Amino acid sequence: MNITKPKLIRWIISYVFLIAMTMVTIVPFLWSVSTSLKGQNEAIFSMPPKLIPVNLTFENYMTVWNSLPIPLYMWNSVILSFFGVLLPLIFCSLAAFPLARMNFRGKQLIFIIIIATMMIPGEVTMIPIYLILNKLGLLGGFAGVILPGAVSAFGIFLMRQAFVGIPKELEESAVIDGAGVLRIWASIMFPMVKPMLATLGILSFIGAWNNFLWPYLVIENEKLYPLTIGLYKLKGTFVTNTRLVAAGAMIALLPILVVFVLFQKYFIQGAYSSAVKG
Amino acid sequence: MYKTRHAWFFLTPALLLLMAFSIIPAFIAFFLSFTNYNVFQPMDWVGLKNYMAVLRDSEFWNAMKNTFYYWILVTPALVVLPVFLAILVNQKLLGVKVFRLIFYFPVLVSVVVTAFLWQWMFASDGIFNYFLSLLGIEPVKWLTSTKVVMPSLGIVTVWQGLGYYMLFYLAGLQSVPSDLYEAAELDGAGFWRKHLNITFPMLRPMIFFVAVVSTMSAFKEFTLMLTMTQGGPIGASTTVVYLVFEEAFTSLNMGYASAISFLLFAVILVLSMLNQRTLDKE
Repeated sequence: MNITKPKLIRWIISYVFLIAMTMVTIVPFLWSVSTSLKGQNEAIFSMPPKLIPVNLTFENYMTVWNSLPIPLYMWNSVILSFFGVLLPLIFCSLAAFPLARMNFRGKQLIFIIIIATMMIPGEVTMIPIYLILNKLGLLGGFAGVILPGAVSAFGIFLMRQAFVGIPKELEESAVIDGAGVLRIWASIMFPMVKPMLATLGILSFIGAWNNFLWPYLVIENEKLYPLTIGLYKLKGTFVTNTRLVAAGAMIALLPILVVFVLFQKYFIQGAYSSAVKG
Repeated sequence: MYKTRHAWFFLTPALLLLMAFSIIPAFIAFFLSFTNYNVFQPMDWVGLKNYMAVLRDSEFWNAMKNTFYYWILVTPALVVLPVFLAILVNQKLLGVKVFRLIFYFPVLVSVVVTAFLWQWMFASDGIFNYFLSLLGIEPVKWLTSTKVVMPSLGIVTVWQGLGYYMLFYLAGLQSVPSDLYEAAELDGAGFWRKHLNITFPMLRPMIFFVAVVSTMSAFKEFTLMLTMTQGGPIGASTTVVYLVFEEAFTSLNMGYASAISFLLFAVILVLSMLNQRTLDKE
């Protein structure tokens, strides 16, 4: 390694920017973590702001945990996210399979229609979807939150790209073995597109875990609130107690942080895929 | 080896869902925009009355103005800044992957949590005002002044979006052949020359793409306003979609709200067509 002077300078400048940007990114989080750990007697807003609590305490977390059904909210979020990931994976890869591997009349037209639905803006369809859910008797329950997002044109598009790349010999040998169409899809095709499934799964998970609009519109029963809505209402409950709200926000943030750290590779891949489709 | 009925068997569930929650709703919305549907009364066909009324509605124009303002605040920043961020994290440096993850993380934070985080940053005795006080500047009412509220919300959006678009550009940068840079370095090109002559031209398609995506999302934004400011103070952060949301689900004027949403759709369509034309000219 020969470190020349210009190289060293560039190295230093790069790290200065990297660290500055890291500060910009994490200061809002640090501030909230710090607030959530401050006791009732310690001022949150002080001049100058104190990031490190003088009396570090977990009592805010205990209070929030005990006064709100946090485990229940989390469970609801988990259920909503589970179906919000599972259904798109199944429906998108089902629909993508014939679009990628079969020849049938109307294939081009169907594909164009599916892609065209990507152009329909959500703010236009928001009202009719609400009315349709109402007509179908799906307001109030989880189904009303899950079904509008159960399939996405973008997901079908992604899965189609993955299916197109599989070599033809694989399914031909299966046909010779006399495997049914559904078995070909399930046992030969499905394992081949696992990386794309992971990508689509992660994208769906982010959407489902953070879904705010549909639970907000659909769910009225407090027992069915996901974390996002529970937290939104928390603001109303503890309007004067910022420490408690901060603790609640941190509790809501933790699961997504854990999932992100565990599956970081797929998150980045997912982002790449959505970049490449453009 | 496959039969047509097989194809339809696989397609049916997805097509039914797309019909129910995308295609049919689009037609219903268009139909509703010509009615006076308001949930309680029987609905009547009113022709273009909603559209006429919307165009005379000062709240609509205020919301349109706010939306354009928000767009101008966030989109240039979200198109340009992530390019530098991507260049920064595209270098071979120790720990650079960790920095990418950190910069990306805000993308994953739900709007409710984001709203909380930033409400405290913007508090009257929060961090921003503390730094201003160090400079001897009077405290700013970040979220409660009609003049400052949109720029404040813009800061939040840019903070949350930088990492998202950074990855787009990073994907673009990694397809730039590295011998281009090596050749430029041999010619003695510095940082700015190198990136002006190589990176920006090579990233051009991606820059346009980011411009389109961030424009679309700027024109659709309303949950940030819903959670942070409720469109206030006195309508200063009411965007068009926020107005649609309010008209539809608070006032229950669903026909009127649909008309607003279609007018917004028309604006977005015109903007993307303009963008397309600029692209074609290139």
